[in-house]
Amino acid sequence: MDKRPTPPNDDMRIRCPRLGHQVPFSYCRIENRGLPCFKTLDCWHSHFPVADFLKNALSPEEWEKTFERPVKPKTVSLLELIEKAKQVGKEGS
Amino acid sequence: MEVKKIFLPESELPRQWYNIQADMPTPMEPPLHPATGEPVGPDDLAPIFPMPLIEQEVSQERWIDIPEEILEKYLLWRPTPLYRAYQLEKYLETPARIYFKNEGVSPAGSHKPNTAIAQAYYNKISGTKRIATETGAGQWGSALAMCCALFGLECNVWMVKISFNQKPYRRIMMETWGAKCVASPSTLTQAGRQILEQDPDSPGSLGIAISEAVEAAVTGEGSKYALGSVLNHVMLHQTINGLETQKQMAIAGDYPDVVIGCAGGGSNFAGNCLPFVRDKIHGKEIDIIAVEPTSCPTMTQGPFAYDFGDTVQMTPLLPMHTLGHGFVPEPIHAGGLRYHGMAPIISQLILDDLIRAVAIPQLETFQAGITFARTEGFISAPETDHAVAIAIREALKAKEEGKEKVILFNWSGHGLVDMAAYEAYLSGKLEDHALAEEQIKRALKEIEPLPKPRQFTG
Repeated sequence: MDKRPTPPNDDMRIRCPRLGHQVPFSYCRIENRGLPCFKTLDCWHSHFPVADFLKNALSPEEWEKTFERPVKPKTVSLLELIEKAKQVGKEGS
Repeated sequence: MEVKKIFLPESELPRQWYNIQADMPTPMEPPLHPATGEPVGPDDLAPIFPMPLIEQEVSQERWIDIPEEILEKYLLWRPTPLYRAYQLEKYLETPARIYFKNEGVSPAGSHKPNTAIAQAYYNKISGTKRIATETGAGQWGSALAMCCALFGLECNVWMVKISFNQKPYRRIMMETWGAKCVASPSTLTQAGRQILEQDPDSPGSLGIAISEAVEAAVTGEGSKYALGSVLNHVMLHQTINGLETQKQMAIAGDYPDVVIGCAGGGSNFAGNCLPFVRDKIHGKEIDIIAVEPTSCPTMTQGPFAYDFGDTVQMTPLLPMHTLGHGFVPEPIHAGGLRYHGMAPIISQLILDDLIRAVAIPQLETFQAGITFARTEGFISAPETDHAVAIAIREALKAKEEGKEKVILFNWSGHGLVDMAAYEAYLSGKLEDHALAEEQIKRALKEIEPLPKPRQFTG
């Protein structure tokens, strides 16, 4: 089947392996606090030229932040969240 | 009449979990604290996990006793039955004997309560009053909600807003078990309020929901946090599944040539397969297959080789599964698939050649799910369909080869609240595209001149 040239509209939904249900591209495009989910290229590359599309849509800095930074091990990201939360606790007390 | 279900008596329920860390050929390296650069210690994780779970996270003990209180609760659904898939075998006209372990019989409908019940117990004895967690579609959230109810703990679930709106039945399950289920981002946490200030219509994300749950655990008196995948203690608790299966296979008088599980975060795969990995380490010949629910072929088609971490070749050479630094999608280069949501234990076992990873197209998984439903009756969760699909492939391969293979797969959960995914398949809204062989060859050519790491697999 030929790839479509542009992002599909919201009628087309594919299964999100992280959430466990169908989502449209418009969600993946902004999932990470306005930036794409780190798996967007992985999930959508077989449906349309998603990398070309996002390289045009994102600044080089946004592209780098989204796709080219090493993904942290889970424990490390949890530790970072603990530190942030501790700060919230201090400010609240 | 042939025996369809192999039951294990309750008296035979395993009394210990199996910790693969004691047997791994390549020991796991401890994660480093981002602030200090030192290995993460128990105190670092104490704000969100009770100490018994932290001890299990780093334990090197091969066998860990299951407390009596957990065993009592396990008996609500365990031991789960092992089925012989006679109708599927007949439909496929295969000489293979196909077995599946039915983890869908738990009250929450999946394997997730195997660790949720243990986490709830260890929190209870450590003085925790409430547990916070995040969930997407709600499989994990509903499992934890049930297990907290069984131990008299409060449960607060931050459910990603897009999921909260799309998956009302899982939310209602959580509420039925007494959990408080909140759409994330919420106004209950600083993390949620910040997002809503910027975007009041934010559909949320797992990242935001995790931030909210961790914040609630750290700042709330008597609160802790629980995670349903990836971490070592989660893999440990799930092994009760595989340990039961080994006893049931012995009752059936068979031993698997192939063991199959779907690998997303790794917990359902680990649960059934890790005890068999132990057998493989000790000399058994078993093909253990982790099925990836992804369209990216890098881990399965790319060798483990040195490559640049970026397309402009500025980073040091890193050993990784790669299809060349010019290949898109680049996320693979940024750390390798091993950290893309997969449990580190599973990633390392793949690298050590004890487990084989296979990727499978989406349509084939749903076709397999339909075939399974129309032969064996059960409607699988879409993730579970990945394991079903590879079991069918292996059974057909056995037919071609004329071999009486024994195939075992983990049927990790039912799909009765996932029917929208089946509706999309049945109405023809799903489609697949194969990556051209030529495209892969072109990408791999880029890494040919680079040095090869010790664990090179090309």
